[in-house]
Amino acid sequence: MSPRSSASMFRRLGMLIVVAAMNGASLAAHDMWIDPTTFSPQSGQIVGVRLRVGQDLLGDPIPRDPALINQFVFEDEAGRKPLIGRDGADPAGFLRVAMPGLLVIGYRSNASAVELTPEKFNQYLKEEGLDAVAALRAHRHETGAKAREIFSRCAKSLVLSGSASDKQGDRPLGFPLELVAEKNPYAISDGQDLPVRLTYENRPLAGALVVAMNRLNPSEKLTARTDSDGRVRFRLRAGGMWLIKAVHMVPAPAGSNADWASFWASLTFERRAANANGN
Amino acid sequence: MGIRSRRAVLALCAVSAVSVALSSGTAVHAHEIGTTRVSVVFHEGRTQGSAPTSGRSYDIEIVTDATALVEKVEASTGGSPRPDTSPHHLQSLLTGFDETFRRRVKIAFDGSDARPGIAYSVAPGVDATSPAVATIRLSGPIPPDARHFTWTYAWTFASYAMTVRSGASGNLVTEWLEGGQSSSPVALTSSAPPVSRLATAWRYLTLGFTHIVPGGLDHVLFVLGIYLLSGRARAVLWQVSAFTVAHSITLGLSMYGLVSVPPRIVEPLIALSIAYVAIENIFRSELKSWRVALVFAFGLLHGMGFAGALKELGLPRSEFVTALLTFNAGVEAGQLAVIGAAFAIVGWHCANRAWYRSRIVVPASVLIACTAVYWTIERLAMGG
Repeated sequence: MSPRSSASMFRRLGMLIVVAAMNGASLAAHDMWIDPTTFSPQSGQIVGVRLRVGQDLLGDPIPRDPALINQFVFEDEAGRKPLIGRDGADPAGFLRVAMPGLLVIGYRSNASAVELTPEKFNQYLKEEGLDAVAALRAHRHETGAKAREIFSRCAKSLVLSGSASDKQGDRPLGFPLELVAEKNPYAISDGQDLPVRLTYENRPLAGALVVAMNRLNPSEKLTARTDSDGRVRFRLRAGGMWLIKAVHMVPAPAGSNADWASFWASLTFERRAANANGN
Repeated sequence: MGIRSRRAVLALCAVSAVSVALSSGTAVHAHEIGTTRVSVVFHEGRTQGSAPTSGRSYDIEIVTDATALVEKVEASTGGSPRPDTSPHHLQSLLTGFDETFRRRVKIAFDGSDARPGIAYSVAPGVDATSPAVATIRLSGPIPPDARHFTWTYAWTFASYAMTVRSGASGNLVTEWLEGGQSSSPVALTSSAPPVSRLATAWRYLTLGFTHIVPGGLDHVLFVLGIYLLSGRARAVLWQVSAFTVAHSITLGLSMYGLVSVPPRIVEPLIALSIAYVAIENIFRSELKSWRVALVFAFGLLHGMGFAGALKELGLPRSEFVTALLTFNAGVEAGQLAVIGAAFAIVGWHCANRAWYRSRIVVPASVLIACTAVYWTIERLAMGG
């Protein structure tokens, strides 16, 4: 099979997944990511920071909602600033690039509540690799029970103004669940892995499923489980926008009126064609 | 509607959702609300933008992010996202994908799908930073006898608001939905042409009757259970009277909101009551006073079941009492029809025969009991 037909086949497989997701038949939960209007702004440029919820990088805009925002910030060499925006508007926030360099954008939401049927919840645990929760439910004979869940978003995005260098890097924003790129994804070359660390409450999270997907071919996912240091490594060959994501779930705190609390970490950035091998 | 006013509506949606979240509990659990909104309007006589029609009609307007919608529609057909996101290009793409778009939009009247006329338009955002907005108008006639409207829209992953306005009453109702979730049935009775009291009475009398025959096999089996206990008319009369008085009480109290027991509790108990009377028929053939009391208690349960069915059918506000009384009368007529048929088929000829109990009452009661036990288990399983 030629690379072209292989890519076409994967794309069609991906579309089947999209169709299933839109039907609500296969995928029980939705990703959330930051989709800036540009990943390569000029110094002084205004960047719109769009929030998206969906599957396989096909998403719907989430307008700015003050009730959901816990933190909505960006950080450059000069420090951390809030993202301004108009309530109810998409893009949800705007930033002005003050200086060349790597900008870290972060959105942390307040918890949203959802109640899922046993079938949907079990399916969602399977899809997101939350085996420990599934095992705990089985141990408690709760596999057939519906689940009340509160979920929070911990989305980040890396935007580069100017030229890339190894000295630039992602920075932890202190989110409950957080993906941190340990090398500048704009500076890694072909043949280099991108190490990414997953932390929960500022400590490495081991054994978690981390998924990476490219916008042009989201069905061809790269997956890995974090090691004891909370680290995974991905070889990102394709150019364009990438989304790396992970989900972690713990028993819900007392008084939350829920059984489980989940945290959804995501990290978006762009691999520039000059650094990427193409695909 | 202008783009500025659309933006204002989106902002209003977000703010109203926040208000609901703040007022509904101690912890804020806001949902991720997208930019999609759906407005439904029912008209008395004509469809906007098309030729006048004699009956009722509907207009539905979907306002959503054009690029996000086109990406999803294209992806579902196996296509790749295209770089051209000009409003004109997006509009022509949407128009070309009409059949694909229809696959995840469902308009139903009383459970039957309707095929609307659809017009697509895409306008640029209010400023350079705002995305293009797609406005999709769906319209068509409402079937003459339709009572309920249901809406499903599966082209979004986020929550959205559906507002329904009735042309007759002008009432505005908002329901928050997830992508792919069907709306609650929206009663069309308020926008129906004025109906006379006599017509309402006849309609609900018919609905009450058909709720028993042929619609309510569980109630039929209960009534048969009552009938089979004894061949004596006195026994049947006492039980039927107790059952009728009891279910009339709870039907009325439930419809006025004075009694409320969830269907997951009522429905298994109704099935269990059928099993009880059938099993007792196997072991007893004489009417005791406590059997009448039990039938009365079971009647209270069945009344709540009738109320659940009547709520699903909907009651016209202007003729609430008429509809309630005639529905109940229809239920009585249905029960009497069952007893009359049973009497004509087996009672008239066989009730005094020596083999009536062994060949008719006991086998029929066993069959009813087995069916009712099965229903009890099934309803308990479904309710859990």
